[in-house]
Amino acid sequence: MRDPDSRAGNKLIRLPRWLTSEHPFPWLFPASAMLIVFGLYPVLYSLWLSMFKRNPATRIETFRPSWNWSKVFADDRVIDAVSVTLTYTFIALTIQLVLGLGIALLLDSDRKGFGLLRSLMILPLVVPPAVTGMMFLLMYDGSFGVISHMLYGLGLLSPSTPILAGGTSALWGVIIADVWQWTPFMVLIMLAGLRALPKDPFEAAAIDGATDMQAFFRLTLPMMSKIIALAVLIRGIDLFRIYDYIKVMTDSGPGTATETLTAYAGTIYFKNADFPYASTVALFTLILVVIIANLFIKIFKVRF
Amino acid sequence: MGSVTIQNLVKRYGGLEVLHGIDLTVEDGKFVVLLGPSGCGKSTLLRMIAGLETVSSGDIAIGEQRVNDMHPKDRNIAMVFQNYALYAHMSVRENMAFSMRLKKTAQAEVDERVNWAASILSLEPYLDRFPKELSGGQRQRVAMGRAIVRNPDVFLFDEPLSNLDAKLRVQMRKEIKELHQRLKTTTVYVTHDQIEAMTMADQVVIMRDGVIEQIGTPLDIYDNPDNLFVAQFIGSPGMNLLSGEIVQGAGGKMFQTGDVTCELPQNSAAMVGQKVLYGIRPEHLQASMQGSGLSATVTVVEPTGPEIHLYATLAGHEICAIAHQRLDWKPDDELKLNPMVDRVHLFDAETKVAIPAG
Repeated sequence: MRDPDSRAGNKLIRLPRWLTSEHPFPWLFPASAMLIVFGLYPVLYSLWLSMFKRNPATRIETFRPSWNWSKVFADDRVIDAVSVTLTYTFIALTIQLVLGLGIALLLDSDRKGFGLLRSLMILPLVVPPAVTGMMFLLMYDGSFGVISHMLYGLGLLSPSTPILAGGTSALWGVIIADVWQWTPFMVLIMLAGLRALPKDPFEAAAIDGATDMQAFFRLTLPMMSKIIALAVLIRGIDLFRIYDYIKVMTDSGPGTATETLTAYAGTIYFKNADFPYASTVALFTLILVVIIANLFIKIFKVRF
Repeated sequence: MGSVTIQNLVKRYGGLEVLHGIDLTVEDGKFVVLLGPSGCGKSTLLRMIAGLETVSSGDIAIGEQRVNDMHPKDRNIAMVFQNYALYAHMSVRENMAFSMRLKKTAQAEVDERVNWAASILSLEPYLDRFPKELSGGQRQRVAMGRAIVRNPDVFLFDEPLSNLDAKLRVQMRKEIKELHQRLKTTTVYVTHDQIEAMTMADQVVIMRDGVIEQIGTPLDIYDNPDNLFVAQFIGSPGMNLLSGEIVQGAGGKMFQTGDVTCELPQNSAAMVGQKVLYGIRPEHLQASMQGSGLSATVTVVEPTGPEIHLYATLAGHEICAIAHQRLDWKPDDELKLNPMVDRVHLFDAETKVAIPAG
């Protein structure tokens, strides 16, 4: 980029000075500005907020740096929320991973019509999560919901306890909505990985005597391991921050049976108006995510 | 045992027929090279023998067994791929042991066979490395090691040397030939490189557009090409071809193009008046600076070391002669050319089929 003139077709275009700069600043500025405004500033502001003790009644905030942090570790609801969040993340992630890989394997074909199937598969991703939540809320409805109706029909659920009313079943109810919406994302990543696998080793394996099953476990899985790890990481972080489905479908209920960390932070913020404590819980969630994600990256040697 | 018999084999992709009735017998223990330009169907034929492509019609048998509908794993063949097709997540040792692991072979035997293959291919120092830590030639050896540990009935090679540099290719060529002399396993080898075919094969099968043009030993094919395609495809620099017709001369039948006439072998089956292509290989054109012979003008001189390639114009035709003497040839020099009469090839100008010399 030493020459400020660059040729496009036959026309000589003189680019403005700043577009030909060799200095990194103009190139890094837009992304840096975004990160600072929408990433760094909120985190630092939350950190600042978390150092105050707020009296919701008097609305007076006093500077007490350790107050909220000691409260987090003593709060039973936080402990419960961590457990719900981990359970939710683990179950949803496992189902999405297995289903995602399975469906991707089925769709990994050059036969006619599979391109269309692959596009159709992605459709759930375009629905806003809150709308998905509402949709499933209606389908779970005790008196007219189609899913409830089917489950009653199969004798799996009694009309007296709708899915979202039971402590355990409510979490499953939310997970099913999440699985419906986000499995396609897994399929998308897995398909990208599968389509990019070289064909030769599979032919070599067929000649070496491998059955399809053996080829899957000894070639496909190991060759896909990096992609699987990446998909688990991305989805895992996403699932850990689950908020919309819980908010729309159960509002953390029944009781606090489906209260995740972010849902709890939301409750403290919007219902109790204890902004400093809500910030603390949110920061605590962030710290947990960072720790778990980094452990995962270390253990499974994920490379970007 | 490991003979391969192919009868009237046809391959179609949808409506497109790419192999049109191939008949070929590879005798047990022979090294057969399928040679032809890109798209001639040689790789497809090999992959059909391997079971990686389905058979549209016709039969393939390995030994006495018809294998048309048999899964590749049941054919007891081993294949070496152009891109090596190594298992990237496995070490060299695991790559070679893979087929035996699938069969749950005892560990002692696995070790024994892997070590045996590694010693043959000089791979011992690399057994615990991964493919990405190896050079191209080493990877190719691993691919061969993976093939030989299985002790297959037939080896299939699909252009195994085309990703290697020139020097390594020569070396691996020799190694593959040595390996075959040692193991005496039936081998079918696909290449588009005529030097590989000539140097390695017991038998060369020349293919074009999905049909076999000629089958024979390398020298037989070189000396007696059945048709113009084979004559042009084999040999580098290629055979000189002059188009003209047969005339009756004083000493018998002669070939004439423009005002140049050339002698023909005594018993040539060519008929007077027949339009023909006169073919002579560059090394069968004796070039000298003086004396008698056909007069040509030098255009380009290419010294290769052992010999000198002389490109010249003769009666409007571009021709090439190979001189072994290091004379001081220069462009625009006049050149005297004497074709060796018993090495002349004649092809019918219309059918492109060789006319027998007698």
